[in-house]
Amino acid sequence: MTAKAKSKPLKKTLPLLILAAPGLLYFIINSYFPMFGVFIAFKDVNYAKGIFGSDWIGLKNFTFLFQTSDAWIMTRNTLLYNLVFIALGTIVSIIIAILMSELLNKMYSKFFMTGLILPNLISMIVLSLLVFAFLNADSGFVNHSILRPLGLPEINWYSEPKYWPYLLVLIQIWKTAGYGSIVYFASIAGIDKSIYESAKIDGAGKLKQIRMITLPLLKPTVIVLVLMSMGRIFNSDFGLFYQVPMNSGALFSTTQTIDTYVYRALMQLNDIGMSAAAGLYQSLVGFALVLTVNTIVKKVNPENALF
Amino acid sequence: MKNKKGLGSLLLSMVVCGSLLSACGSNSNTSAKNSGNDNAKVAEIVFALPSFNRIPDDLSKVTNAINAITTKKIGVKVDFRLYGPADYAQKVNLALQSGEKMDIFTTLGQFSNYVSKSQVAPLEKLLPQYGKEMTAILDKDFGPDILKTTTMDGHIYGIPVNKGMALPTNIIYNADMMADAGVSADTIQSVEDLPAVFAAVKKKSPDVVPFGPINVNPTDTGLVNLMKGASKVDYLTDTTGVGVVIGDNGKVVNFYESDVFKNGVKMMRDWYNAGYLQKDTATTTVNAMEMVSSGRGFSFLGGYSGMEVGKTLSAQAGKKMETKRIAPFYFDTSAVNAVTWMVSSTSKETEASVKFLNLLYTDTDLINTILYGVEGEDYLKVDEHHVKFPEGKDANTVPYTAMLSSGIVGSESLQYQFEGINWSDIELKLKENKDTERSPYFGFIFDQSPVKTQMSAVNNVVSQFLPALVSGSVDPETIIPKFNSALKDAGAGAIIDSKQEQLDKWLAAQK
Repeated sequence: MTAKAKSKPLKKTLPLLILAAPGLLYFIINSYFPMFGVFIAFKDVNYAKGIFGSDWIGLKNFTFLFQTSDAWIMTRNTLLYNLVFIALGTIVSIIIAILMSELLNKMYSKFFMTGLILPNLISMIVLSLLVFAFLNADSGFVNHSILRPLGLPEINWYSEPKYWPYLLVLIQIWKTAGYGSIVYFASIAGIDKSIYESAKIDGAGKLKQIRMITLPLLKPTVIVLVLMSMGRIFNSDFGLFYQVPMNSGALFSTTQTIDTYVYRALMQLNDIGMSAAAGLYQSLVGFALVLTVNTIVKKVNPENALF
Repeated sequence: MKNKKGLGSLLLSMVVCGSLLSACGSNSNTSAKNSGNDNAKVAEIVFALPSFNRIPDDLSKVTNAINAITTKKIGVKVDFRLYGPADYAQKVNLALQSGEKMDIFTTLGQFSNYVSKSQVAPLEKLLPQYGKEMTAILDKDFGPDILKTTTMDGHIYGIPVNKGMALPTNIIYNADMMADAGVSADTIQSVEDLPAVFAAVKKKSPDVVPFGPINVNPTDTGLVNLMKGASKVDYLTDTTGVGVVIGDNGKVVNFYESDVFKNGVKMMRDWYNAGYLQKDTATTTVNAMEMVSSGRGFSFLGGYSGMEVGKTLSAQAGKKMETKRIAPFYFDTSAVNAVTWMVSSTSKETEASVKFLNLLYTDTDLINTILYGVEGEDYLKVDEHHVKFPEGKDANTVPYTAMLSSGIVGSESLQYQFEGINWSDIELKLKENKDTERSPYFGFIFDQSPVKTQMSAVNNVVSQFLPALVSGSVDPETIIPKFNSALKDAGAGAIIDSKQEQLDKWLAAQK
């Protein structure tokens, strides 16, 4: 593909380049330039000496991430939550996309699509208050209007860590699945209708069509999106893990992620060296994972690999 | 091949989308530089003040009023910046880190952090020449030892704000509810007398929550401050509480292993079990003041100086609030240097900055212009010490006011008070500055940088356990040992050792 692109005259590619220019510029300014700053992670920043003059201290800035037994908990939480988010999110998004594409009435499909995307536009702070309205110990909807009338024992949600893995997954999927389905919906819309028609003539039912045509043709899209989310597997949505559980200490065992740990650890210290170290660590792990997964995809099915 | 093409266009469309989205978030960096006037003779400094009032769109009038005073008296032109409390630390840190001009700012974090990162300039050489009046008024209002709290290794790195610093623990309660329950305030002498009051209130009005947290997220019931004052606990300048000295024995210990802490938490647990606190106090987002205003809360514990705070709180809550002192205050270093004005180490105008600070603590006009704005437009004078808003205006509708920053600006003894505040209370506060007992380690400042890894881990552990413990929401018998073993895990031992070493050194240097 690259060889072909090179042989094209500049005149033909120029409009595309111009189209891509703002985006590329954005990435250069916001993603590539700041990368020069990674060396701060290895420095003991001293304002009088300036960033470049500060002392090199090797990997010392990284040690706080592995200082306690929390290191294991937060790494486990971050990884497992993200894996579940990626897996379940993809599945639910695809299901939504398929259902939407089967809706023949355009009015309905637009209505439901808007409704499904809406949660994604709600800020985490607002969402955390919505959740609080449900789970609040005294007057929350679940305790007050469901458990109490049924005579069931009330649950103190904000101090029982065991419920939160389910709650957080539920909240995250509710919030993002609709939005995530857009790309799949678009991919399905792009599938040649004649394939379905010939399948129908051959006697394939709706389910069979989905299984044999839609899903296989969605595979490349799924792989790209999963690969991209792999890169952020060591990052977590701060709002989801800090605001939604109301920063409750009792829940740390299931809500602490690397981002919330770094925030709580460095709020008082305000040390940019240590925060740079945390960011670098997250990025490196994400980078390594993208490479690994891509290599695996390449081995199994070279057509679908990202690069 | 077909698939690949699809991917390419997908990626491209993502890039384009990204650029469209990014366009929304990049238009706010243009209005930073205004009022730049190139006058060679007049030194120009940037002064950033946190304001708890509405931030007006146009600061030019008050900036001009400030400049009229400063250019005339000290030949300094001030670029006045006003930020909300949530923005302040971020804006100042950003300016310091990016090298933007920022000369004078205040602590909204821990003083020693600024020093250990060399963010602030030493002032001891400039003070005798340019800060004479300021040192004099500090001596008069607090005592000559005040600058000890901002001195590290013989350098003075900042000037603590000059106000009533003693914040004895008060119980703040709804007086009408108390009278309804048939209890007299005279029965309250110490914290032990409170449960009887709570019980009476609860009996009279079962829907009312007798006690609540003064701050939420994280929950703070005022218990720690009560214990600090009542049992003379010196936190030795960091907020974690793992390295404190109780009394005067000079031994650094983990506060959470002490009997003082255990007993305090046990007391709160008893209150909680008796139903005096809400079930979800550890995680609630509603503080006691809001509960009181809505008529559902009765009281809370808080540190307040002077005797007049009940009036202010009554106005805020819309209820008749009264206060009763139940524990004394104890001066440790961070009680005094919590709000400290500092000069940036990158400042090119340190002389002008100190001149301005001098004025900020000693000039009645400047102090009150910063707090209340322009006379006649933003406020009216009532008498020598008191002001009020112009007819038909309030704090939200006057062009400028920063009156809620009164605890941050300059000298309280030179500030105008709002109409209705008893002037004698200011005098009482200053008297208490001198009378309140000082810790033997008053002036010791812990340098956290050798143990910052441990500090970061310990901060996490504290935020995990402390809110639940101080609100009585968990059983202290089982949780305190867990808390302490988690602290040990996080390196509390290293912090204690480092602190002990620094404290011993400091004590030796004092002799």
